[in-house]
Amino acid sequence: MKNSLSPNLYNNVSNCKVLVVGAGGIGCELLKNLVLTGFSDIQVIDLDTIDVSNLNRQFLFRKEHVGKSKSQVAKESALKFNPNVNIVAYHDSVMNPDYGADFFKQFKLVMNALDNRAARNHVNRMCLAADVPLVESGTAGYLGQVTVIKKGLTECYECRPKAAQKTFPGCTIRNTPSEPIHCVVWAKHLFNQLFGEEDPDQDVSPDTEDPELTAAAGESALEKETEGKEIERKSTRVWAMDTGYDAEKIFSKLFRDDIKYLLTMETLWKKRRPPEPLDYNNLSDESPSSTNDMRDQRIWSMKECADVFSKCLAKLKTDLAAQGDGGMLVWDKDDDKALDFVVSAANVRANIFGISQKSRFDIKSMAGNIIPAIATTNAIIAGLIVMEALKILDNKFDKCTAVYLNRKPNFRKKLLDAGRLDPPNPKCYVCSAKPEVTVVLNTQKITIKFLEDKILKSELGMVAPDVEIDNGLGTIIISSEEGETEQNNDKFLSKFNIINGSRLKCDDFLQNYNLNITIAHVEKLEDEKEFMVVGDMAELQAKLDENSKKKEGESSGATPGNTSSKGRIGSVNYHSNLYTKQILVIF
Amino acid sequence: MSGENITEDEAALYDRQIRLWGLDAQKRLRASKVLLIGLKGLGAEVAKNIVLSGIKSLTLLDHTVVDEEDKNSQFLIPHSELGKNRAVSSLERTQCLNPMVNVTADTEDINSKSDDYFKQYDVICATCCQPSLLTKLDNLCAENNIKFFAGDIFGYYGFMFSDLGKHEYAEEIPKLNQKSDKQDEEGSGEPSVKKAKKDETETVVIKKEEIFSTFQSALDVDWTVTTNQSKINRTPNTHYITLAILNFMEEHKRRPLLTSVENDVKALCECRTKIMEKNKLTDKKFPVDFTEYCFSELSPVCAIVGGVLGQEIIKAVSQRDPPHNNFFFYNGVEGTGMVDKIGN
Repeated sequence: MKNSLSPNLYNNVSNCKVLVVGAGGIGCELLKNLVLTGFSDIQVIDLDTIDVSNLNRQFLFRKEHVGKSKSQVAKESALKFNPNVNIVAYHDSVMNPDYGADFFKQFKLVMNALDNRAARNHVNRMCLAADVPLVESGTAGYLGQVTVIKKGLTECYECRPKAAQKTFPGCTIRNTPSEPIHCVVWAKHLFNQLFGEEDPDQDVSPDTEDPELTAAAGESALEKETEGKEIERKSTRVWAMDTGYDAEKIFSKLFRDDIKYLLTMETLWKKRRPPEPLDYNNLSDESPSSTNDMRDQRIWSMKECADVFSKCLAKLKTDLAAQGDGGMLVWDKDDDKALDFVVSAANVRANIFGISQKSRFDIKSMAGNIIPAIATTNAIIAGLIVMEALKILDNKFDKCTAVYLNRKPNFRKKLLDAGRLDPPNPKCYVCSAKPEVTVVLNTQKITIKFLEDKILKSELGMVAPDVEIDNGLGTIIISSEEGETEQNNDKFLSKFNIINGSRLKCDDFLQNYNLNITIAHVEKLEDEKEFMVVGDMAELQAKLDENSKKKEGESSGATPGNTSSKGRIGSVNYHSNLYTKQILVIF
Repeated sequence: MSGENITEDEAALYDRQIRLWGLDAQKRLRASKVLLIGLKGLGAEVAKNIVLSGIKSLTLLDHTVVDEEDKNSQFLIPHSELGKNRAVSSLERTQCLNPMVNVTADTEDINSKSDDYFKQYDVICATCCQPSLLTKLDNLCAENNIKFFAGDIFGYYGFMFSDLGKHEYAEEIPKLNQKSDKQDEEGSGEPSVKKAKKDETETVVIKKEEIFSTFQSALDVDWTVTTNQSKINRTPNTHYITLAILNFMEEHKRRPLLTSVENDVKALCECRTKIMEKNKLTDKKFPVDFTEYCFSELSPVCAIVGGVLGQEIIKAVSQRDPPHNNFFFYNGVEGTGMVDKIGN
């Protein structure tokens, strides 16, 4: 007996090769536990580099490591805890095609220490393809969870639908914001309109198709618009460039002219407080909070907002120019200019609509989807991962559980709530024998590119799909080989005779994953949605929505979502390390 | 509010936790002086967690020397330090976790310390101590208004105890936004779709109070009286396992050791029998195979109990969020982690 483990278990532990996916908050704690427990053949993969805000919890990193590879530094630090183990570090994305099923097959066990849904989906599929048990985990603030996934025995990570990310209707963002978050979303859209990837769904100007407006009201507003206001028809980017990103002109358009225009849509303001346009040259310098607070914490005056807005415009203009022709900027919460731009624009808009203004600190959380993270929760979760791993290596699979770390003990005194693992969902669109889904969309409005990016990759979690129409001819519309089907990108599905009831055979070679999609054509979906994945998924989702409403308030801030940095229509992505907390309420 | 404002550097370093517990809590943390007794695996986890959080100072107190078992759980001690003092050997790595915290090592035997020594601290956390010492420390802390914590790991089992006396704290709860609901009913003009999407993250902070029991009163519980017999079934069995091992430590003036495993198993079984007879416990309540699982410190168990204990220290000094009153028990054999109030 060398430690607390039985000799047999200790032997299994010291002779197995394991993979740790992620060397962040959970990954650092996990590596420490593994090398101390006797694991001696460990590989770790992480694509990230170290940031100063990691140092309060990712304890394998120190100030001098900022900017370096997480996996590499984590390896070196963990080796100091036990120099007698073998650790291989990859500074790479686990979604890179280099890590195929054969790579995964070499491990006895895979442990996820991830912070986003896309990578979790992918590792789930790779472990199913390689038939390797996976210990999955997540944390958000004081909450955390650990579960075990084994092909054919338990639910896979995708057996249950995840709660959808929070979205806001476009008209709320463009016409009638009522909360700070609406203004933050608008300001991020504005950033993209001016400097980033232009997305027509992120329009920031008044929306004449607001369902609240009667047709007549919309038309009369449109008429007024055309009277000598040609600029409205140009894209915001082109117009702004033509002004040379002139701060006064842009400010005046967004915060005076557009607002005056909104006021002409009188129906909107019958029961709402009407917005109040601002004059660039006549702004208040009264700050709503005391001035001796930190810049990050206090609320800026309108004058200060306008100054920051102007300075950021100038700096971002330079950044954009440095990208060359056709270049664009990607909004990043850790880029001070980009954050300050959003803080100032969001606060000016909030002021106009009588919405409470927020500090830079708060807006960073909202715009950057920051999930608070602490060392203690990560330590507990990483400990629980190893406890599950030990059961797997002790061939006590029946003892494995799904464990939740609660904020307070429940009525049974449980701070850690462990439950049995559920069997696979026979209709799961990932792990069932014949995965199938129905996708509802308008075949005349959805392009092949949209199908590939937003539906197959973003929504259905594929990495490199090949798609053929199941029409007996084997027409390939999307190929994962570069250069083979790019000419199809901008064509609508209907161009390929994809109609209501058409079936698509999708194949992701890397994930060893085949999915049959049935297309259901509709003219229009509610809530401005462009597509919907339905079938048994939808039934579950409906149940989920119903239950999560009942349970709201109990699920303190554990908002599942994904981490893609690009938003959908008028949406903010609330990413989270927690992934199925709310799903629990189905039972 | 104590102390000056948080600096820009601190705000950057502690960003992700300030977003969770707020600036006031962080300021209180920065003003707190902590004494940590016992630098084995659990002590290392607690030290890591609270130094990372940004307390003012931490004293590592341990007069014992590094042994082979430390390699299983004590990541703050390099393997080369075998035979040297545990506190001193832990100092460098502890300090490296956060240069803003003042970390010191003290190699004196805790039994040689005067009562005055303890009064300089806001928090005392005792690990690897026998029950008589825990009782003495707890009483001293109660007299001097010091927040007291204790904990230990026995293989797959671990516990945490806290006595915060009369503890006042702030709790953030979701705001019952009756005003805006009413407004909606009267018709704020929001279409029903939009109403459903109302942000419900608004919260209010309320002040609360929690009263704790002493460690002695937990030891003194008479489980044989009728009212308590009915409680036994709902009391985590890890409590009784802990009592048996603590009794072993009291009798033998040391913890059970892998180097003397055969004799210690026998002695532990005797301790079990005594606890069972004294409290009228059934075999089911106190599994006889516990001796297979209670040696050394299992690293993940240190992480779990050290995580809970670290967070409770953070809660206590930041006076933020309801504390767990007064025991947390982790049982890695059964996979349970429970909070229970024991004592009166």
